[in-house]
Amino acid sequence: MFPVLALLAAPVLMAQHGNTTQSNPHDSEQDRAAGAKLFATQCTGCHGKNGSGGSAAELTTGVFRYGYSDAGLFNSIASGIPGTAMPAFKLDARHTWQLVAYVRSLGEGRAAGKAKGNPARGAKVYASSGCQSCHSIGGQGGFAGPDLNAIGSTRSLGHLQRSLLAPNEEVSWDYWSLLGRTAAGERIAGLRLNEDTYSFQILDSQGKLRSVAKPDLAEHQIDRTSPMPSVEGKLKPDQFEDLVAYLASLRGAQQ
Amino acid sequence: MTRLLPGNRPQNGDCPPAARRTPFALVALLLLASQAPGQVSRERLLGAASEPQNWLTYHGTYASQHHTGLDQITAANVSQLDLKWVWQAQSLDKFQSTPLVVDGVMYVSEPPSTVVAIDAATGRTFWMYEHKMPTGITPCCGKVNRGLAISGKTLYMATLDARLLALDAATGRKKWDVAVAEYQNGYSLTLAPLVVKDKVIIGTAGGELGIQGFLAAFDANTGKSLWRFHTIPQPGEPGHETWKNDAWKTGGASIWLTGSYDPDLNLTYWGVGNPGPDWDASVRPGDNLYSSSVVALDAETGKRKWHFQFTPNDAWDWDSVQTPVLANMEWKGRPRKLMLWGNRNAFFYVLDRATGEFLLGKPFVKQTWAKGLDDRGRPVKIPGMEPSPKGTVVYPGVQGGTNWYAPSFSPRTNLFYLTAWEDYVGTYYTWQTDYVPGKWYAGGGVKAVVPPTKRDQIQRWGRDAGYAAILAIDPRTGARVWQHPMTGMSESGLLTTSSDLLFSGNREGHFFALDARSGKLLWRRYLGGQVMNSPISYMLGPRQYVTVASGHSLFTFTLRD
Repeated sequence: MFPVLALLAAPVLMAQHGNTTQSNPHDSEQDRAAGAKLFATQCTGCHGKNGSGGSAAELTTGVFRYGYSDAGLFNSIASGIPGTAMPAFKLDARHTWQLVAYVRSLGEGRAAGKAKGNPARGAKVYASSGCQSCHSIGGQGGFAGPDLNAIGSTRSLGHLQRSLLAPNEEVSWDYWSLLGRTAAGERIAGLRLNEDTYSFQILDSQGKLRSVAKPDLAEHQIDRTSPMPSVEGKLKPDQFEDLVAYLASLRGAQQ
Repeated sequence: MTRLLPGNRPQNGDCPPAARRTPFALVALLLLASQAPGQVSRERLLGAASEPQNWLTYHGTYASQHHTGLDQITAANVSQLDLKWVWQAQSLDKFQSTPLVVDGVMYVSEPPSTVVAIDAATGRTFWMYEHKMPTGITPCCGKVNRGLAISGKTLYMATLDARLLALDAATGRKKWDVAVAEYQNGYSLTLAPLVVKDKVIIGTAGGELGIQGFLAAFDANTGKSLWRFHTIPQPGEPGHETWKNDAWKTGGASIWLTGSYDPDLNLTYWGVGNPGPDWDASVRPGDNLYSSSVVALDAETGKRKWHFQFTPNDAWDWDSVQTPVLANMEWKGRPRKLMLWGNRNAFFYVLDRATGEFLLGKPFVKQTWAKGLDDRGRPVKIPGMEPSPKGTVVYPGVQGGTNWYAPSFSPRTNLFYLTAWEDYVGTYYTWQTDYVPGKWYAGGGVKAVVPPTKRDQIQRWGRDAGYAAILAIDPRTGARVWQHPMTGMSESGLLTTSSDLLFSGNREGHFFALDARSGKLLWRRYLGGQVMNSPISYMLGPRQYVTVASGHSLFTFTLRD
């Protein structure tokens, strides 16, 4: 009897560990609504109202550091995340899946669907405007600006519009630059990748990764402006809408 | 210079040849061992400051100064500090435990509730005791344990499933194990116990889960419950009227950090956590005693002698779960028994610890919630700074001006040192939360650019969103004497030495030594993992050691040969 029992147990164990590509079996509108109620009582304390973030991660971006797939999210909820404050929630499987459904809905396709333009035409605007010299999609393009592969699932429509029209309004820390000069007179310029009390880690203008010790810098500043030019006045209104629609359609490859 | 005292013999693990040969010699050795090293008598705990080669209590001494009498490592030779050993925990949960050192043996807890005995000279493990944890425990903020207590030959550990354990210090075998509260209802124990005479004193965590907080004393020999002090006054007790709407039933007021003890006054002091729900104060009108307070209790009976509430009707989660630092100083021309307190609410306080009288209070970092303190130390709140459904921007953010990590007082410099979060802001929200036993009950949340509890591998914010600093404060004025700023945040405690060094670490993973008089950086090592405990120091034979936890490991340093 043992082998039979073992075979029967196998799918259960796999589901418990979330070590599968299983998609969510409870993903209806009703499930999402039930998940929202559960979320309000179980999760808001750390993740904020509607997943807007608090002491724990914001969940509205559509990007999850631990477990992007449905099964991965299930596992994070059911087993907790070691090394973080995320505990295991001992809910039954249906309720856990409902939470997964709700959490995924928070960041899913926030931008697409509402865009007025035509994504296919927008792709041509993207290509003809030189965006790819700094941005990449599907691994193709430059590295100076943000990777846009999944930008449509992580940014709202309004955010995309503002980023095109007023790129300096909100510059992510990812694109801050270090500008400085060493005591020996060397000029330092590069993308600020990381920093601690004693050093900067940068990608310099030669494309080289290096650390710069703060005591070696005679002077320095963090430049938070964006080198991205505004498209205002450079695109016709319909081109602008098409470009926004194209960006909103970019969802990336899911793990 | 430090003296080498009896009971501090070098422990190299070698038995005399005779012991290897004859069982009689072994028996004789064991008999000797039972009488001297490893035995921590009541007198030794009282006189812990006089044997700085050991670290006998969670805070080092009952006065909780996090100051060592050792002075071998100095400003002149600290550059010669070298790594002696590394001990790695099994758990990947946050390592917040500060070890004990007793006659060459280091005792430390690792998450979730495991005790380890380590050779303090080599880092080798003697034994491990792993507490079997049930499913369904309810820690609010990670599976942490902050440390142990020792008395006689017995170690004490409080566990996440709300039990108190006594272990034999030589073997790690369990002596007894008692239930303290129901973990299913949100109770968990994360602090190191405090042994006073024949009692083991502990408090309960769970302030975000609608518990009713308490301190409890147990017989150190048997585990029998001796007294319990309710941090929320029960019906009929004075202070109960400070809770309206039956909010006392779910009012939190947890205790999750070890207190202090003054043997002359026979008073034990404990900081009390936030009222619950944390951010929706509208459901609990009143001062909500004894939340966000310090209480002074008779150690014999658990009766309250005095209390001082730092943040009445706290709406920001500003637990007063900080170390009660006891210092004897001259105050306005006469010697006085003081308590020094850097509070999460961003004010530094000096109290008379015999009476609870407020002597001084002053903000030590930027704060925007109070105009100041009145002449009895009560904050004069600024209207409109409470959390709200749309969010209220308040300095400091939810982690406060400081938190539970140990400050230090040096009787040599007469300065109070603490880890502070500077220019740190949060947006405080309220929303309705219904109480469900054992579930999160906080009534809101807080957003901030700076992550409150977790280390980011990448520094994702600029100085304008907040940064950590070590501050030296003159207790007589509350004024800053110096500041050591960092780029990232810090949840590391402090240690000062009798050679006027200050050791600390930070979330970035650095461990460093400052000049305690000037704040000047003297030495540092990058250990890579965030420091979330307090450095300690001890001595074996002729050598002083310094130990700190970084990431999931203990790192021990000593001077190069």
